[in-house]
Order: sequence, then C-alpha cells, then structure tokens
Amino acid sequence: MTSVITGIGMLAATGIGTEALWEAVREGRPGIKQISRFDATGYGGGLGGEITEFDAATWVESRVLVQTDLWTHLALAATKMALDDARLDPAATDDPYAVGVTTSASSGGNIFGQREIHSLWSQGPRHVGPYQSIAWFYAACTGQMSIAHGAKGPCGVIATEAAGGLDALAHSRRVIRRGTPAMITGGTEAPLGPYALVCQLAGGLLSRTAQLADAYAPFTTRACGYVPGEGGAVLVLEDSQAARQRDATAIAEISGWGAAFAGRVPAGAHDHAGWAKTTPALARAIRAALADARIDATDISMVFADGVGIPHADAAEAAALHAALGAHAASVPVALPKAGFGRLHAGSATIDTALAALALRDGVVPPAPGINDPDPALGLRLVTGEARTVQGRHALVVSRGTGGFASALVLSRTT
Amino acid sequence: MSDTTLDLTYLASVVTRCAGVPTSASALADDPDFNDLGVDSLGLLGIVTELENQLQVTLPEGAEKAERPSQLIDFVINRSVRRS
Repeated sequence: MTSVITGIGMLAATGIGTEALWEAVREGRPGIKQISRFDATGYGGGLGGEITEFDAATWVESRVLVQTDLWTHLALAATKMALDDARLDPAATDDPYAVGVTTSASSGGNIFGQREIHSLWSQGPRHVGPYQSIAWFYAACTGQMSIAHGAKGPCGVIATEAAGGLDALAHSRRVIRRGTPAMITGGTEAPLGPYALVCQLAGGLLSRTAQLADAYAPFTTRACGYVPGEGGAVLVLEDSQAARQRDATAIAEISGWGAAFAGRVPAGAHDHAGWAKTTPALARAIRAALADARIDATDISMVFADGVGIPHADAAEAAALHAALGAHAASVPVALPKAGFGRLHAGSATIDTALAALALRDGVVPPAPGINDPDPALGLRLVTGEARTVQGRHALVVSRGTGGFASALVLSRTT
Repeated sequence: MSDTTLDLTYLASVVTRCAGVPTSASALADDPDFNDLGVDSLGLLGIVTELENQLQVTLPEGAEKAERPSQLIDFVINRSVRRS
C-alpha cells in the first residue's frame, strides 16, 4: 500500500505558488533582504525571507482573516493551491471522513499573540480578543484547513520544529495505511515578527550580520547563523490506488521515513558536543528511511539538506550523511534551496520535500543561492551556481529540529 | 437603565471589524440571525466585549447568547450598567 503526492502548494520569499517558486529555486534566485514590515534594527541582522507580495485577503475570507495569524493565512493559501493542483475537493467526496489533515507547527500564531499580549499589558484583560484562544495555538492551521475544506478525516499536528514537516508526512502516510484515502499535510511559519525574532535570538542560532551576502551561508566557512523566512508548503498525499481510481497524477511516492532523537540539544551555536550528538541520530534516521524504502545509499540521486548554517551544525550534518551514505555521500548532489528564502522552521521540511519531488520530476537539482564556496572539509557535493541535470529515482530529504529532533525521508518517482 | 444609544451603522462597523463579517446598517435592520450573517459564538463574544469597552458599559450575562441584532441592542439600551 503506497502513498503518493498528488498535489503541491507552496510559497516563500522568492515565489508565491508552485510554478513561480520552483522557477525561482531552479534559477538560484536569492530572496533574503531587510525585513520591511517593521524596523527590525537590533533584531539580529534584521534580515528575513519575507513574502512582501502576499495578500492574505485574496486567499482567506474576511471572517477567517480576523481570527487567524499570518502563519495560518499562509497555510490556507498553500492548501488551496495544493487541492487545486490535486483536483480534490474534500467536501465533494461521498465519504465526509475521506480526507484528514496533519500539519507541522512551531512558533504558531506569534504575531497575533504578540498583539494580544500587548493589549493585555497596556489596556488589561478586557482588551484581549476572543480569537486569541484559537489563533495562537499549534493546531490552528490544522483546524482552519479542515474547516475551510470540509476535511473531516483524522486530524493532527506534529511539533518537532524543523523535522516536523517530514514527521507530519510520515504520520499522514500512517493514517492513509489505516484506511483514510487522502491527507492534506504540510507546514508553514511566520517567524519575522518582533516576538518570534527575540525567541530566535535567545536560541543563539540566528544570524546577527546585516551583510546580505554572508547572513545565511550554510556549508561554507563563512557560516554564522541562519536567516528565518516565512512561508511553507502543503501537499496532498493519497493512497495510490485511490489516486488511480480518480485519475489523479502521482507526482512522487513517500517511500521511506525514519526519525531519531539526539537528546535535548544543542544548547546554542557553540555547543559542539551537543551538535555532535545530532550526527548519530540523523544517521540513524537516514538508515531507517533507506531501509523503509528498501533501497541502498547508492540509489539516492539527490539530497536536500538541513543546512542550519552554524559551523558545528553543518559539520555534524555532513558527518551524518557520510556515516549513513558511506562513500556515496562524497558524490551525491546536495541541494540547499533554503539559502535563498531562509529557514522556515515548521515549513522547511515540507518545502524541501515538495522541491525534491519537482527535482525528481524534472531531472534537475537546484543550486544553493549565494553560495559559491562550499567548505571542502565537509566532503559534500553541494550544487552551486547553476542547476545540475540529474536523472534518478530517489531523493533523500533530511531535517533536524531544534531540541534534538532528526528525521529523514525518501521520495521516489512513480514512473 | 442607562442612556446608552446604539445605532445600526456603528453596530455594523463593530460586526465587520470584530467578527470579520462585512455588513451594513441596512443588513442589520432586517434583524437577521447572527448565524445566518456568519457571526459565530466567538465572533459574538468579541462584539459584546468591544461594545462594553467602547460604550463603557457592562452587559449582563446572556448578551453573548443574543441571536439577532435586536436582542443585542436591547441588552445594550435597556439592560446595561454604566461603568464608573
């Protein structure tokens, strides 16, 4: 019983919509810039992958707009795109429970929440709106996506930070195996408000330079932190038989997944020992994913990497890839498209998965934007400059969530 | 008993802003069910709180269960207590 992706919706700083974003990613277009929504001086480098052209009102009806955060607006937009792409309308199926929703969540409705907290402290509890109760918490996107589209099947939310996108996909696959024909899955993040930036600053991994060229340079010796971005992706995942029955196009199969826990690490950018603990965990997750997919390391034709952009973190990731893929790690093309739009936390791994599916479909691995000098000490073949033509059947997506989460996913062509 | 007034244009602006349901004085004049308007229970709670804050009154329990504009207006005009 296999699960296939039949629809993709995604948006990030360099593009709104699958076509637009994939084109920008193939070109290696950089999209990180000064945050414009407010004066972000002093909030690290003040940089972010902002989707400046996103107009929530064109995607979300006004009644839902007031009761949700930007994070949910992005999720609802991506959901509409994905369902249109899959040509699936959950409300129109015979069985009302035929479609469920599982998302990955991280900072949640932090912009909405900050505004309400501001009202609380400056005017008092009577000035906190009623929607605070549903806009902020981690299941808000799952709930609103389910309500908006009549997806009454099993619903859930996974909170494993950047690993969440992969874990939500795996959970959706599990739900499909238990009998639900289709799942809407994915994750988005809106981490560019003051409160979210302060939290990230406290985490110690946020880039503090305002120099665009160096702000987010994972896998290089210049690496000095990450730049956050907003956006994410939503996928429609279906049982392959159900997809065939309704003539849906299967873009790629979720053929393997593995997850491991490294312990509550790291304690910050310089926690070398902490980052080193992520190596065996990520390696274990990768091996489990390969075993689940019943393939060997050499069957992987491209890797979409985590790319935290902290030297210890990058070294630990490289070590995990070498440990799990053996000699193949030195030659397999590695992609880091997130260098062009930032780390999307809950949205990262889903966007990477969507991009990996498109990379397999089009036979091309995108270049890492703004990176021409990968550190040779890492021993990896990062694709830089121009997209590289790569014909292959299987892609590996890896992601580590802050706090010790490590997950890996194998995506395979269906044709 | 209070001397608070509440005109439909103002109420419509509160409904639009707090519940995100675009409406007008004339639409409210028809006295539709809040459900039919698209205002759910949380939306009504927000409207009641906003009216209390703006008009400086306290509405009795039950105001947030009002089913239509006329009932809500009745609460405000006849059953609210001015805040000191």
